[in-house]
Amino acid sequence: MMRRKVVFLLLTVLAVFSLTGLAAEKKLTVISGWSGPEMDAFMPVLKEFEKETGIRVDYQIYRAEDLAVLLPAQFDSKTAPADVIFMWAWFINKQAQNGHVLEVTGALNESDFVPGVLDAVKSGGKLWGAPYTGKIKPGFWYRKSFFKQHGLAVPNTWEEFVDLCARIKKLPGVRAPIASGNGVGWPLSDVTEHFIATFGGPEMTRDLIAGKVKWTDPAVRAIFENRLAPLLKAGYFSEPIEWTMAADLWWAGDYALFFMGSWITGMVKDPADLGVFALPGARGLVFGTDYAFVPAYTKYPAEARKLLAHLATRGQTLQVAAGGHIATYTGAPLDVYPPVDREVAALLRGREALPDLDDTIGGEWQPAFWDQLKLLWVSPDRVGEVLDTLQRKAGK
Amino acid sequence: MGVFARTRSSTIALYVVAGLAALIWLIPFLGVFMASIRPLSEVLRGWWRFEQFNPTLRNYAGAWNHPAAPLGQGMYNSLRVAVPATILPLIVASTAAYGFARFRFRFRDLLFMAIVALMTLPQQMIAVPIYRIMRGLGAVDSYVGLVLVHAAWGLPWIMYFMRNYFTTVPVEVEEAAKVDGASDLRVFLQIVVPMSLPAVASAAVLQFMWVWSDFFLALILVYSPDKLLATQRVPLLRGVYHVDWGVLSAGSVIVMMIPIAVFAIMQRYYIRGMVGWTSK
Amino acid sequence: MRTLRGRALFFVPALALLAVFVVYPVVNTVWLSFFTSEGQFALLGNYGEVLSQPEMFDPRGFARGFPYGALVHNVMWIVIHLPLTAGLGLVLAVILREIRGGAIVKSIIFLGMVTPMVVGGVILRFLFDGNVGILPSLMSIVGIPRRTLTAYPDTALFSLILGSLWLWTPFSMILYSAGLETIPDYVYEAAVIDGASPMRAFFAITVPMLRPVTGVVITMTFLWVLKIFDIVYVATMGGPGGASNVLALQMYMYAFREFDANSAAVVATLLMLVALAVSIPTFRSVRGEQP
Repeated sequence: MMRRKVVFLLLTVLAVFSLTGLAAEKKLTVISGWSGPEMDAFMPVLKEFEKETGIRVDYQIYRAEDLAVLLPAQFDSKTAPADVIFMWAWFINKQAQNGHVLEVTGALNESDFVPGVLDAVKSGGKLWGAPYTGKIKPGFWYRKSFFKQHGLAVPNTWEEFVDLCARIKKLPGVRAPIASGNGVGWPLSDVTEHFIATFGGPEMTRDLIAGKVKWTDPAVRAIFENRLAPLLKAGYFSEPIEWTMAADLWWAGDYALFFMGSWITGMVKDPADLGVFALPGARGLVFGTDYAFVPAYTKYPAEARKLLAHLATRGQTLQVAAGGHIATYTGAPLDVYPPVDREVAALLRGREALPDLDDTIGGEWQPAFWDQLKLLWVSPDRVGEVLDTLQRKAGK
Repeated sequence: MGVFARTRSSTIALYVVAGLAALIWLIPFLGVFMASIRPLSEVLRGWWRFEQFNPTLRNYAGAWNHPAAPLGQGMYNSLRVAVPATILPLIVASTAAYGFARFRFRFRDLLFMAIVALMTLPQQMIAVPIYRIMRGLGAVDSYVGLVLVHAAWGLPWIMYFMRNYFTTVPVEVEEAAKVDGASDLRVFLQIVVPMSLPAVASAAVLQFMWVWSDFFLALILVYSPDKLLATQRVPLLRGVYHVDWGVLSAGSVIVMMIPIAVFAIMQRYYIRGMVGWTSK
Repeated sequence: MRTLRGRALFFVPALALLAVFVVYPVVNTVWLSFFTSEGQFALLGNYGEVLSQPEMFDPRGFARGFPYGALVHNVMWIVIHLPLTAGLGLVLAVILREIRGGAIVKSIIFLGMVTPMVVGGVILRFLFDGNVGILPSLMSIVGIPRRTLTAYPDTALFSLILGSLWLWTPFSMILYSAGLETIPDYVYEAAVIDGASPMRAFFAITVPMLRPVTGVVITMTFLWVLKIFDIVYVATMGGPGGASNVLALQMYMYAFREFDANSAAVVATLLMLVALAVSIPTFRSVRGEQP
């Protein structure tokens, strides 16, 4: 009698456990650096996946800079904080080399994407990540109403650009012509790269990335000394300000121009008031693609691969509709874009799409680059020393 | 007895200086507090301006439930580390300190000095090896590892502190008990410890504050977003794209509340702890 | 039991924890500092290598200004902070004894000590920011243009030093307060009867009698400044361009950003040696008071 009771008890316990095991929900976690309005625009993409597959998707915010410090240590202990993580392409490749990334070859069809965009996350013939939308960093944004109010015009030559800055500086109530956004240094790097691409051409950008040209090269130095530094010395750039605060101040009229990526169209109250121009003569614009990968230590590799594929295809289509993003997925039709973004995409016409320089070089050079630019911005006379340091760090 | 001649003007001067000092120490806190309860637009024009004043608690909610670094969870995590990391070293160190105070053996003083010397070391000295040890033990990103390191790190100074205290306790009571046949342990637990509660309180307060405020060890040993301690989350509040001095200030105030509360309640022990700990 | 084994048990837990989590890592770090990252034994060669890095010591600074390298920055920090904190602490302790409400002011000042350093870093950033900080606004009243003090190489380090004074002076003040309490009144009265003014009595008698306290203040302050990490990490991250870098931060960079454990060990060992050197007088007095 006793034995039967025990067996019955054991069976019940077993049944309960197995039922709870079945009921245990599968849950995927996605990490990216978007917050605020950017995050709001991203959530529908995840919701769509939840609806289609019934798998719950959680979202956590982490900046790439913080992940770069966090992830290597986690991977070292064979754990990962999420199933899909957005990171720089160089980082994904490096971690793939160390065996921390789940291979996703075959999850994506290369012909579905803008040519070459998958290369950044391919190595050894295998695909390690998926491309998401990209943003162009087209140049200096301004409010059309501001320009109209003060009778300013878009410059067509370098001299006109310098003149424009001088005129703006004299306007009462304007603190400086150009607001210098600063994150941990990166919007400053975007401005710098724009100058390099304009006056050194796309070749110089690519050569610097590949290490074929040194930072101390006279041609590179000339750009810093003769184009960037004089503007800094004349006070045409503000001192580095946290970039979301800078955006607010610029929108309120404290500054006239703001160099930022195209995602700003999704961040301002009135996108129709936005105008943008590149430095006159720019032959290449940085087109920065966001990439995502699946860590090898995910608990749900099959589901994570599915999510990654969804993000790269259907996800992109949904995302661009919200504004501020340009799809790398050719399956996203043009009419899905809001009008402002169609204009922005048009800016790329006739110009080369360049990779983001510091996101591509990466490693410890990237934060050193940012730190040196922060120095340059407040001490423009130190060009030589800054370039020397950049070259020294690049050589390591 | 005063140092300053008690004339009218010198008295006024004294009060002015004291007032200035109070102001200097108060203003930074006031600024952060203002930024935490006022909207960013007001703070941008200068928190010391009061033409517009629309206080709101939105920032506190934002910091407590922040998507990247919710402070509510962070505070809970910090407690999970700080409480054991206070209790454990107190017990271990007090026991050893008693031994150093009462027992005699060869090399006792040398050993004690060596342990006290450890007090001066910077945490940087153990950073990399501790990380590797924890990795080997599989204890990276766990609170157990962090608590053990904090406990070990607190041992030298708590031992120094408690030993000094024990030497001021008269030996007669203990000797009497030993004559009656009590063991060392019983004498320690039943006689000495109850007599030493003020010192234990001081040591506990100091150790708790020290562990709560720690950033470096947590930075090295704890990674998972869920497990970050309160001090680690504060810089994250700043960094996320949508930088907001309001949320950052509110987060700082929340994290500060615990040490300030402890200080307010245990002020006497805190100060006695610091003075007693470092002076002869 | 009053056995030897029973007594030994009093020490075992403490010694075990210390051995595993403190002594072994310390020895390991010193050991690491003698090897290069390739694993070659270099004894002091590693030290030379690290000390010649511009991050540690940058002689160009003497020509063009900050950065001078973490080593020089720490020295500057100590040279400025130490006398100021001791002096201020003493002055505050003396003044606040003699006025009504002194205890309240002392508590307010003590808030600086109670603040976690990480929050201190946030407060500093906020204080010195060109847009929202009060200090640049105050400076603009005197005609200095508003700027974010922590963003400029020539002011970044000094801003941080100012902040660290704010955080640490309460410690000095409390110690001096306690010290002053222990000086009996009759010492003063005797001097005054002899015709000395209160001020002279103070400098000729009180200050020398406070020498032990001053010793402790100096030693503890020195050790604290040597290890400063949190506020620099949060407020400037050593920037701009390394202008506010300090040894503790550089050690962290070597260990956890560049993954160069050996250079990190060199910096850590250097910190340890300086700390030990400074603490030796304290040890002598510890030995002196053994029962």
